[in-house]
Order: sequence, then C-alpha cells, then structure tokens
Amino acid sequence: MTVPAGDSVQDTIVARATPRGASALSIVRLSGPDAIALVDGVFAARDLSEQDSHTAHVGYIGRENAWIDQVVCTLFKAPNTATGEDIVEISCHGGDVASDAVVRLMVAQGARMAEPGEFTLRAFMNGKVDLAQAEAIGELIHAQSQRAGRISLAHLRGRFSDELGQIREDLIQLVSLLELELDFGEEDVAFADRARLVSLLDAAATRLDAMTGSFRFGQALHEGVRIVIVGKPNAGKSTLMNALLGFDRVIVSDVPGTTRDEIESHLEYEGVRFTFVDTAGRRETHDAIEAEGVRRSEEAELGADLILHLIDLTRPEDVSASSSDGLPRLRVGNKLDLVAGPSAASDFSSKVDVAISAEAMRVGSESVDELMARIFEATVGSVGQAEEHQVVTSQRQQEHIRAASVAIQRVRSVMESGGSGDMISSDVREVVDEIGAVTGEITNEDILDRIFSQFCIGK
Amino acid sequence: MIDSHFDIIVVGGGHAGSEAAAAAARMGAKTLLITMSLEAIGRMSCNPAIGGIGKGQIAREIDALGGLMGHATDESGLQFRMLNRSKGPAVWSPRAQCDRFMYAAAVRRMLEAEPNLYMRSDMVVDLETKGDRISGVVTQLGQRISAGAVILTSGTFMNGQIHIGDMSYGGGRMGEGASRGLTGALNNLGFESGRLKTGTPPRLDGRTINYDLLEEQKGDSDPAPFSYMTDRLPSKQLSCWITFTDESVHDVLRTGFDRSPMFVGRIQGTGPRYCPSIEDKIDRFADKDRHQIFLEPEGWNTHEVYVNGFSTSLPEEVQERAIRGIKGLEDVHILRPGYAIEYDYFQPYQLRYSLETKLVNGLFFAGQINGTTGYEEAGAQGLVAGTNAARYVKGEEQLILKRSDAYIGVLIDDLVAKGTEEPYRMFTSRAEHRMMLRQDNADQRLTEMGASIGLVSDERLERMHRRSQARRILTEAVRSTSVSPEQVNPFLASLDSAPVRQSDRIAKVALRPEVSLSSLLSATGFQALIPPIEGLESIEDMVEIDLKYEGYVERERGLIEKMEQFESKELPVDLDYHAIHNITIEAREKLHRIRPQNLGQASRISGVSPSDVSVLMVMIKSGRFPRMASNAS
Repeated sequence: MTVPAGDSVQDTIVARATPRGASALSIVRLSGPDAIALVDGVFAARDLSEQDSHTAHVGYIGRENAWIDQVVCTLFKAPNTATGEDIVEISCHGGDVASDAVVRLMVAQGARMAEPGEFTLRAFMNGKVDLAQAEAIGELIHAQSQRAGRISLAHLRGRFSDELGQIREDLIQLVSLLELELDFGEEDVAFADRARLVSLLDAAATRLDAMTGSFRFGQALHEGVRIVIVGKPNAGKSTLMNALLGFDRVIVSDVPGTTRDEIESHLEYEGVRFTFVDTAGRRETHDAIEAEGVRRSEEAELGADLILHLIDLTRPEDVSASSSDGLPRLRVGNKLDLVAGPSAASDFSSKVDVAISAEAMRVGSESVDELMARIFEATVGSVGQAEEHQVVTSQRQQEHIRAASVAIQRVRSVMESGGSGDMISSDVREVVDEIGAVTGEITNEDILDRIFSQFCIGK
Repeated sequence: MIDSHFDIIVVGGGHAGSEAAAAAARMGAKTLLITMSLEAIGRMSCNPAIGGIGKGQIAREIDALGGLMGHATDESGLQFRMLNRSKGPAVWSPRAQCDRFMYAAAVRRMLEAEPNLYMRSDMVVDLETKGDRISGVVTQLGQRISAGAVILTSGTFMNGQIHIGDMSYGGGRMGEGASRGLTGALNNLGFESGRLKTGTPPRLDGRTINYDLLEEQKGDSDPAPFSYMTDRLPSKQLSCWITFTDESVHDVLRTGFDRSPMFVGRIQGTGPRYCPSIEDKIDRFADKDRHQIFLEPEGWNTHEVYVNGFSTSLPEEVQERAIRGIKGLEDVHILRPGYAIEYDYFQPYQLRYSLETKLVNGLFFAGQINGTTGYEEAGAQGLVAGTNAARYVKGEEQLILKRSDAYIGVLIDDLVAKGTEEPYRMFTSRAEHRMMLRQDNADQRLTEMGASIGLVSDERLERMHRRSQARRILTEAVRSTSVSPEQVNPFLASLDSAPVRQSDRIAKVALRPEVSLSSLLSATGFQALIPPIEGLESIEDMVEIDLKYEGYVERERGLIEKMEQFESKELPVDLDYHAIHNITIEAREKLHRIRPQNLGQASRISGVSPSDVSVLMVMIKSGRFPRMASNAS
C-alpha cells in the first residue's frame, strides 16, 4: 500500500519567470499537479482544464471586481512539458506590479513560491534533463549574449554530453581490455593493444584539449569581456571609445581632464558582449574630484580582461614610457598623422601594438574595425562557430576536463616509464571518472549542490 | 546421550563450513559442525589449488583474520607461484597447487584442535524457528538439536544433480549423495531459491601422460607463503604442465554436442561465465583454434592429475576420445570423467551484510548457497558468518567489512547489493580500491580488527605489530639514506636503467619501475637497513610497494572519502520505490526487492543508473519522499 504522495512530494510551485524591471511582458509560471486548477479558480475565461495542451487563452485574472490584469495563459499538460508536470504560464503586462500581484494571488490560491532552481530540479527529477543539461539551463538564464544563449541551447540538446560520452565509452572499452589482461593474465587471452591504447588516449586528449582551450571563449561568451581604456589625459580615450561604440556616449573635449568618472558602455561584437570602461586620464592633478577619478581608474584596470592603453604619439615622453607590465594590455598609438616629420607606423612598432591616425578615430573607419578585431582576438580568441558545441562554459566542467587531461598525461608518462598495468588502469579510470563527473554519469553531492544553487527563481 | 543444545550449528564441512565452525568456536561459542560425511571435511572438490588472481588476496585476508585456509595451503602446497608478477603489485596474486589429501587432513586437524568445536555426521533436513528467529535443526536421523544460530553452507549438495552426457542422477559430488529437504524448508520460510550449475574436468592417470611432449611450468624459486604465520615451506616443489587443444580435438568434442546436457537443455542452472566448460568455449569462441590446458598434480603420493581448462559434461566416451587427441595425452587413462552439477542457491540479496538472512534472525548463509564459486570466496563467507553468528549469540554488534577494508568486503557487498544470476567469482577489477587491498598488506589491514573481536591469537597480533614496526623503520631508513653513483650505477646499468649523477635517496631510486628495493639494497650493500624479522614475508617488498604506490593510494583514499558521502546517506526503510515515477521501472523493482540500506549500496545495484541515484539523493536531501503505509494503519 502506498500513502498518497501528498503535498510534500508534488505540490504546485509558482514564480516569476522574467526579470524584474521595465519590460513589455512579465511572465508568471506555475508547475505542479494543481497548476491548472489553481489558475482556473481566478481566470475569467474558458475552463483551462478542458483545453488542449500547448494552447493559449486570453482573459482577466484576479477576483470578481478586483481584476489584476488581462493576461494570456499558456497551457502545457504533463507529461510532455519542461518539468514533466502540468505547467501554466501567465503572461502579464510589463512591469512588476501586475506580475507581483499575480504571484501573490497564486500563493493565496495554494501554490508555493518556488525555491531557486526548483523548476529545473523538477525537470531533472522527472527525467526531462540530465545533469549537464540542467547546468546548461542555469547558464542559459545567465547568458549575456545571443551566441552564449545558442551554446547553452546546444548543451541543452545534449550535444555536449554526447561528445564527452563517446570519449568516455572509448576509454571504458580500453579499461576493460586492461582489466582482462590483469585478471586473466594466466590464461590464453588477447592482451590490450598498447598502440591502440595510445591512439585512443591521443584522440581523447585532442578532444579534451579543444574543450579546455574553448573555456576562455566560453567564459567570454557568458561573462562578457571587460576592456579598460587608459592613457594620459587627452590621449583620445573618449574619442576612441565613441569610435568603437558608434555613438557619442562620452563627452569629448580637448580640455584635458574632461572625463572624471569611469564610463561604462556595452557593445555586442561577434556575439560577445564587450564592456568598455573609459577612465579618467592619468596625470598629476590638484583637482580633488579628478584625483578621485584617477584613483578609481587604477582600480578598474585590475578587473580588466584587456587594458587598452592609448598613447599620444605626438608626445615622445609618453611613447618612451610605454612598457608592458604583465597585465593583458594592448598599446594603441594615437595621432599617427600628427607626428612631425616623415615617421611611419613602423618607427613605433616596438613601443605600440597598433598605431592609428587621429583622422581615423571615427566610427566605421578601417583602422577602428581592425582594432576591434585585434581586441576580439586578444580577449576571446578565434574559436569558430562550427566548434561551438564544444565550448566549455562552466568552471566546474572546466575543472573536471582539466583533471581528465592531466590524468591522460600521467597515463602517457607511466606507460613511457614502463609503469605496470594496474597503474595505467587506475589512471585511465580517473580520466573516465572525471569525464563522468562532467556528463552526469557519475554523481556526487557537490555537483548537485553546485548546479542547483546557481539558478534564480522561475526557471 | 546426544547433546541437544549448541550456541551455533554449522551445516556443511567444506571450505565455508570449516572456516565458519573454526571462527565461531575460536570466539568461544559452543559449536556443532554437522556434515554428511566427516571424511569429506575440507575436501577440494574441484581443482587442487588455492589462490589465483583476486582469489589469492582473499586467501591472505582469511589468514589475516585467523582463518584456516592459509595454514592448510602452506602445509599441503606442492607448488607456489606469485601470479601477475609482471603486472604490478596491486594485482600480484599468490597461488599454490596443493596435495588435496594433505589439505583436507590439515583442515580436519585444525578443527579437531578447537576445544569448543564438535562434529557429527548426519544430514540436516529441516529448520526450526521460534517467531522470527532460528531455534534449531532437525536431522535425517531424527535428532532435534537446538541452537542460538545456524549457518548453512550446503555447497553443491542441496538437490544436487550430476550430469554426464545422457546420464543424470542425484548427487552432491561424484560418489556422494545429494541433500534433500532443506530447500523446501527454506522456501516455506519465504526464501527465494534458484538453480546454478558448475562443472569439473576429468582426472587422469599421470603414469599414462607423455610429459616429454609438454611444456613445464615450475614453481617460484622463492616461494611466498599464504599464511603470515608460516616460517617454513616445503623445500621441494612439483611442476604443472601445459598443453593445448586443437581443431581436431574440437571436432571430436562437437560430435557429443547432441548429447550434451547443457546444449540440449537438460541443465537449467546458469554456469560460471568465467570458468566455462570446454564445450562452451569452442561453441562461444568458434574462431579460436586452440585452448590452453594445465595439467596439475593432485598430490605428492598420487599419480592423479587434474586437467584444468577442460571442464566438461559431455558423454564419457567423447571425453576420452577428445582428451586423447591432445598432445601428450595420446595414451592417457581417465581415472574419473568430468561432469556438471546443478544445485540450489538462494539469491544473496536476501542477506544482510553480516550474512544473516533478512527473513530469519540467527540464520546465516555462506558459500555456494549464496551463488559464489571458489574455495576462497566460500571460506571468506564462512569466516564472516561464523564470526557474526558468535557475535549474534552474544548480542554483540556484527562485523561488517567495507569495500575499502578488504576483498571480503567487496565480495559481500557485491552479493548483498546486487544478488547474482551466475556463479560469482572474485576478480581484482571488482575491487575499486585494489591499490590498497593488496596481498602483501592483508595483515596490516585486518589483523588488528580481528584481534579486537577475539578472532585472532595474541601471537598473530604481535607478529603483525612487529611487521608494522619493521615497515616503518625500513621506510624511514630508505627515505633518509643516500646511495652514491659509485654504489648504485653498476646495479642500474645491469637493469638498463639510467645512471644517477649524484648521490640520491634510496627511496627515490626505488621509485623506478624497473628497480626492486630488495635487489637494490643487496646490490649496494645496504641490506643491513632491513630490520631482522621472523617469518617468510618480505618487508622490502611491502615498503617498495608503499613507495611506488604512494600517489595512487593517496588518490584512493580521496575516492573512499567521496564514497563515504554516499554510504552515510541512509535510505528510509519505509521508502516506497514504486511511487517514485521519475526513476526507471527496472530501478524501482530492484530497489524495492533489494531495499538497499544506503545510497552507496543503491548506486552499485545494476540497473540503477547514476541519474536514478541523483533522484534518490535529491529526495533524501529534501526530505520529501513517498512512504509505504505502515501495516498498523
């Protein structure tokens, strides 16, 4: 005999599914066995329980004479839904007022506020997604750009898991051959072919390396890239920023020290979100406000993925002071056209990475486009779109993949030094385990906790 | 007047029964061993050998816990070999060919030396229970003997059925009757029984073997003992001999397939996949044109020879024609044909980790009754069942070895957590912590534990402590002592190993895979670093393995910690698996049937996937899970 599952197992949860703040629409989502009935109780339109799955219905929501909003309710009936349970999505008008009221209303009706990650948790518990996919959902929510979203979607569809799974299968096959050798050494069995072992390891290593290399790319996609523009006052930082961004975000003047605060602007370039920070010019100053600005710009530099160091080529003392300091830095010489004499860009090649004429510091000029390409190359790298499904996007995945690569290295060195089969097998097993931790073939508590704690309510 | 009450009754006198009876008696329980034939105690029914890959480790563990097997092997051994020498110490596995008459005699003598142990020749036909606990047994001769605990070690005897070609008759071994009645009694108590099959090869008259045509396999020149207590091994060894089948032999065997009890379906039980009959081998691996055969002497004073690799139940005349087609056996005389035997077993998921049955308190199972094959597997279970029966009678906590403690822990966990559909034998690959669970350190892992519950003598414990101390001293010495290039380079050159440029610690040189610490110490004149110690066990080998495997052992410790995370997550006893709709139906059924005690155990059940485990884990963490209705409501 089974006790009915009851509230403790399958209650109905509710949460806002779109971010707070101004927007055209605001969506509230319910999932659980009573989702449809709860909405029906406050929805003045057709009886949703009698409607087909995957249909949308317009009507007022609220209580008699206290309507909250006119909404669209989209109905998804179990089991073919994102969570595997009945789902109702209520699209309210934008802003927080209506959707907050709807959430309150649904809680009053008997729904429970969802905990972070709970919708995904339910999808996972109902076998709708595996661990790697659950992780991808978390990333999709946080995705900063279109391209990042596309990669998370690829994960969601399982391509990432599939590819790693294949590597793992190959290695398990290999381990079983090694084990055969160890456990049936006295018998007349075929031994594990060492050459095949090496070629399998090479194949695995190549794929893992590609994934490791793509981590920086994946991180750039998800977190965006932060570029800090520094340089002496009036070197043309704000002009450069405007040229890169394509609009006059920064007040430009030729009075040194015009920019007193960092100014942040965003640009999506090749699917990656770039944040440019214009800093106050660096010079000794007695102006207290400006001094504060200079101090802050020094701090901002530290958080940069790349420092765009602008140098006025007409000021020889600045040019000679230019040096690299271990920070990721691209030195851009400005005002090449204003340098007295027949100097060419090549004269500055040891001091700057790129030289641009003042005249070219404008939106859409060839020089600015080239500069942007250099910035992209220096920060994101050159992973093509074709390899997007390989992109590793979470720190956790990256740690396991790196550990797997290290273990492969160890197998190789153990083999080269004549290490014994039990050692080789142990190291290959570690590779298998690390990959399994990425794909969800191996579970441990940390993984679950890490995955399900990163979600915000509503997904 | 027959004694009518014992603390413990052990049913069966094979490898499981002997170890169980000895362990129980040693722990102070008044114990009765009932067996159908006192002459058959400790008999090696199949091959005359102890140990082998994965099994040798178990034999060493039995010894470390004070069992009989190691002593009997060292006393009766006629050839000792360390298998897998070239494949790394974690899989080094001792094996000894034994004189099977001496082996049985040694076991019998050790049992007779136990003051608390009594023996009787009879057959147990029924069990008596009081409520949910065992209270005694009923024998064929009509005796009712009461006991606090009963251990069943029935081997292949329960409803045993022997098959040779078209012939089939009831029996527990060739020439011995089967036992009847117990299966029915157990079924009546609610136990689920099944049928398994095993087989044995023909035995040959060694005088009719042409050894000149065969390849000789000698024992090790420096034989290693099975028992940590052994100070001396037989000075002489006998050889085994290797030959091969060929296509013409296979053709002869195929002529008997239409009368093979297995192929025509007369045998229902599942046989051991890893120890297939010769007909099974040529049927399943048709592309293999030959199979290896080992000819093993059965004793010092007999010409009987065991044909390892040629287990068969084909008609006797086919066996004879086929075997005479093998090189060196052209004129051989068969002493006894091979045969297959079917017998009853009980799915081991009906057991607790102590080997006590879940259904009847105080009733324990050990050996082939639990679906295992092999003397070592049987002996290990006997030792654990005997120990726990004694502790049960005294009301003490049960001894449970973990997977990270011993191969014995792996064995019992595999059985209890998964059950088995075929005869289960141990392999090193079943032990995920085999870098730690080695044959060289079984005493270091287990003897202290054994001593703490009265299983192990003071003498053994002290010897183990002296070994631990010697291990520490030598480890310290090789870590702090350096060898100069002049001292070590000639030795390294003899191994094709790169010379050292400057003085280096001995421990560091010993890290090289090709360097053995023992020969390094003797070649460089540092033998005096080895603390003098009694016995035949090598301290140098253990320290060398410690050094070479340090990183691996470290990592295994990490894995064990991770696993503990799962082992410590108890699964609620009233968890209703059938109501968890988000795990596979197969997982639901298996979890319901096996009712694992914790998540670790659940994760090892075949058919329970990692994602099923994740679901269970999330459920336990959230505290939201479906419960079975209690019977009261």
